[in-house]
Amino acid sequence: MSEKNLTETRETRNELVATLASSRIVRLLRHLLIHGGPVIALLLLGLYLQSATPYFWTESNLVNVARRTSVLVIFAVGQTFVILTGGIDLSVGATAALAASVSAVTMTQQVNVFGIKFGPVGFVEGLVIALLVGTGAGLVNGLLITRGRIPDFIATLGTLEAFRGVALLTTNGLPVPSYYTDAPKARNYLPSEVIALGSNDWLGIPIAAWIGLAVALASWIILKYTAFGRSTFAVGGNREAARVSGIKIERTKIGVYVVSAITAALAGFVLMGRLNSANALMASQENLNSIASVVIGGTNLFGGEGGVFGSIIGALTIGVIGNGLNLLNVTDFYQRIIQGSIIVGVVIFDQWRRRRFGA
Amino acid sequence: MATGSPLLQMERIDKTFPGVHALDHVDFDLYPGEVHILLGENGAGKSTLMKILSGSLEADSGRILIEGAEVRHNNPDRAAKLGVGMVYQEFSLVPTLTVAENICLGDMPRNRAGLIRWGEVYRRAQDILATLGVDINVRAQTSSLSVAEQQLTEIARILAQEPRILLLDEPTSALSDTEVDRLFDIIRRLQERGVGIIYISHRLDEVPRIGTRVTVMRDGRVVGTLPVAEADKNTLISMMVGRRLAEQYPKTVSQPGPPVLRVENLTAEPVLHDLSFEVRAGEILGIFGLMGAGQTHLAHVLFGLEPMTSGQVYIDDEPVTIRHPTGAIRRRMGLLLRDRQASLVPVQGLGPNITLPKVSQRALLGLLNLRSETQIASQYIADLSIRPPQVRRPVKFLSGGNQQKVCLARWLATGARILIVDEPTRGIDVGAKAEVFGLLDRLASSQNVGIILISSEMPEILAMADRILVMRQGRFTAEYAYGEATQELLLKSAS
Ligand SMILES: Nc1ncnc2c1ncn2[C@@H]1O[C@H](COP(=O)(O)OP(=O)(O)OP(=O)(O)O)[C@@H](O)[C@H]1O
Ligand SMILES: [Mg+2]
Repeated sequence: MSEKNLTETRETRNELVATLASSRIVRLLRHLLIHGGPVIALLLLGLYLQSATPYFWTESNLVNVARRTSVLVIFAVGQTFVILTGGIDLSVGATAALAASVSAVTMTQQVNVFGIKFGPVGFVEGLVIALLVGTGAGLVNGLLITRGRIPDFIATLGTLEAFRGVALLTTNGLPVPSYYTDAPKARNYLPSEVIALGSNDWLGIPIAAWIGLAVALASWIILKYTAFGRSTFAVGGNREAARVSGIKIERTKIGVYVVSAITAALAGFVLMGRLNSANALMASQENLNSIASVVIGGTNLFGGEGGVFGSIIGALTIGVIGNGLNLLNVTDFYQRIIQGSIIVGVVIFDQWRRRRFGA
Repeated sequence: MATGSPLLQMERIDKTFPGVHALDHVDFDLYPGEVHILLGENGAGKSTLMKILSGSLEADSGRILIEGAEVRHNNPDRAAKLGVGMVYQEFSLVPTLTVAENICLGDMPRNRAGLIRWGEVYRRAQDILATLGVDINVRAQTSSLSVAEQQLTEIARILAQEPRILLLDEPTSALSDTEVDRLFDIIRRLQERGVGIIYISHRLDEVPRIGTRVTVMRDGRVVGTLPVAEADKNTLISMMVGRRLAEQYPKTVSQPGPPVLRVENLTAEPVLHDLSFEVRAGEILGIFGLMGAGQTHLAHVLFGLEPMTSGQVYIDDEPVTIRHPTGAIRRRMGLLLRDRQASLVPVQGLGPNITLPKVSQRALLGLLNLRSETQIASQYIADLSIRPPQVRRPVKFLSGGNQQKVCLARWLATGARILIVDEPTRGIDVGAKAEVFGLLDRLASSQNVGIILISSEMPEILAMADRILVMRQGRFTAEYAYGEATQELLLKSAS
């Protein structure tokens, strides 16, 4: 009798604990503590900079940070897909440069592709061409990895070089548009819409930032609500389990590399607008910065866990660090050391927190 | 045998995971030379208690005394130095290393210059495996081994450390009878040397064979400790589940319908040779064989995980070619793998794990219905009494038996019409076993699912299968109707 009562009270207590643990507020707090590390780090960084320099927390500076960081956000969002499957895309910067270069050339010159002459084309065609080039680059990566059966790291290391080479060929190693071209029917400026994309504001916020936001939102929806998104997590979480559950590993892998390359192409296009020109060596920092953003954002480098929200925070962190160091007049040499240390520090903190609080 | 002073005392050990009170002030002790069996339902806290002892988890409170002296350790290394060795329920081998490297890991023989003496590594590994009486190539990569071989390698690895206190967490769940006999011989030898052994199992018939004392746990607490002489099966079961169990093998014998799966002359070199059989709607076809007879390979071939050299498979009398699990699932086939770790995505919750095969059938950009996913998960949590009942808990935090239930729920959710289950009761408790068999029986008799039950547990296959095929070296050697076979007959046909 007393034994039974005891069991019952224990059960009610256990249930109480379980309901509590699953109640919304507790869940949210727990979630913040477990997943909020990157946000906390970013806030601390912001608070510090606000006290250290009077310029940081001004509207014009924040808009400036947003403009500069948007491109990295777009890169990082695409990279997130790849890293979630346990892969890595080292070629995003090169893909961006290639897409921007090809599209810049077609927007400023008449080109001759297999005897078909066209151009100079307008903004919309230019954007479509950039995205198509991105798709192609992603397919190359994806096929090399799945059909060629080589590690992601090696495949994209190879294409990183190759894509830059193709971009150099396309542009003859010159910035585009350029005065030094002998192409027929050339014009030496990019369509004004391209420049607006990279430099103008809408509702007080840079258009580039709106694009970054839109890309992130679309990616979040894809990851959370589509079969492709679910497959991405499953392949990274346990490849074998994904396979026996009927998930097509190869298709998923190719898919994430295409997503990554398309976002890279878009980022390259926006960057071209900001720089008012394209060249084959642009976006050279973005490879590693996009990977760093994803990792700072808490996505597991071995795949299976994470998301785009963290990657945005990661990109912002990197952007804010760079901006803050500029405001504090730290020279470039020191900037690099500090930037590298902060990246590693954030990740160490994040790992420790996860172990400690058992995420 | 429990004489002298205790080798080990665990006092008021308490451990809470978020949302689960896994151990509630547990007391436990162990004498030299005894085999103390630890029983309890899935999720009772057995593995957690042992992991605290082996240093891979830290208790919230409580004391551990070894030979009367309090020890504080919080990592497996230090526990090993204190003479505690644990064979984990889920293996802890490094899959890319060779068997020998895994066995000697942590204590590689070195020469004076500090370099590894590879000859010695292989010899030592070979010796240990020889005492276990198993024949595994010590130079083979561990990931290429079968589950049973991995289990034996794991045991060998711990024995190599010569522990004073040996913890075995469900060591026999993947082993065949002869291997179990050999393991028991070794345990007896260790016992004579005064080693204390804690033994976790869901196989109650092992209790009188090997045990000295039995402790039963339920919901994180010790229900009681008995000498083996007083621990008959029914007493143990009612201690474990808190009630008497109605029927261990619920079986409805009914008239099976038309064949749902027919296989003609299936050959998959070099393992399977010329297999022909059929499974009817509503029938449970048992396939019995000793370890390595090819049963698991057959399941993999049917499901598109391994290629087939020749032969033809028909589903509903239609010839089909299945090259990938996606195709098998599309034709409403399901496969419960023998190896749980290859079936689940550990960091994801129950919902995504249960619906994964369904998701794989969707178009890439097909939208998921997360609400119905949660509903499905909650439904199976209730139907299969998965503990703790939390949809979002990553499955890596579930106890082994509850993980098995999640794997099963997956194929219930896809509405499979042909279900292949490979050792479905591996690592699940008596109560859950009865539930699983009840479920298989219901699937067959009232939902007309054709079930292939691959098992090396003779009592369960004899009780549950409408028909039994016996396999030896990739061929069928005998067929028995329900009630025809006996354990002797099965063994004779299988060896
Ligand atoms: N790392 C963890 N994090 C959170 N919860 C955990 C963790 N490990 C175990 N649990 C929970 O603690 C409880 C006890 O689990 P444990 O693995 O000890 O059970 P068990 O008795 O070994 O069961 P089984 O027979 O199924 O192996 C379960 O409810 C389980 O979900
Ligand atoms: Mg366990």
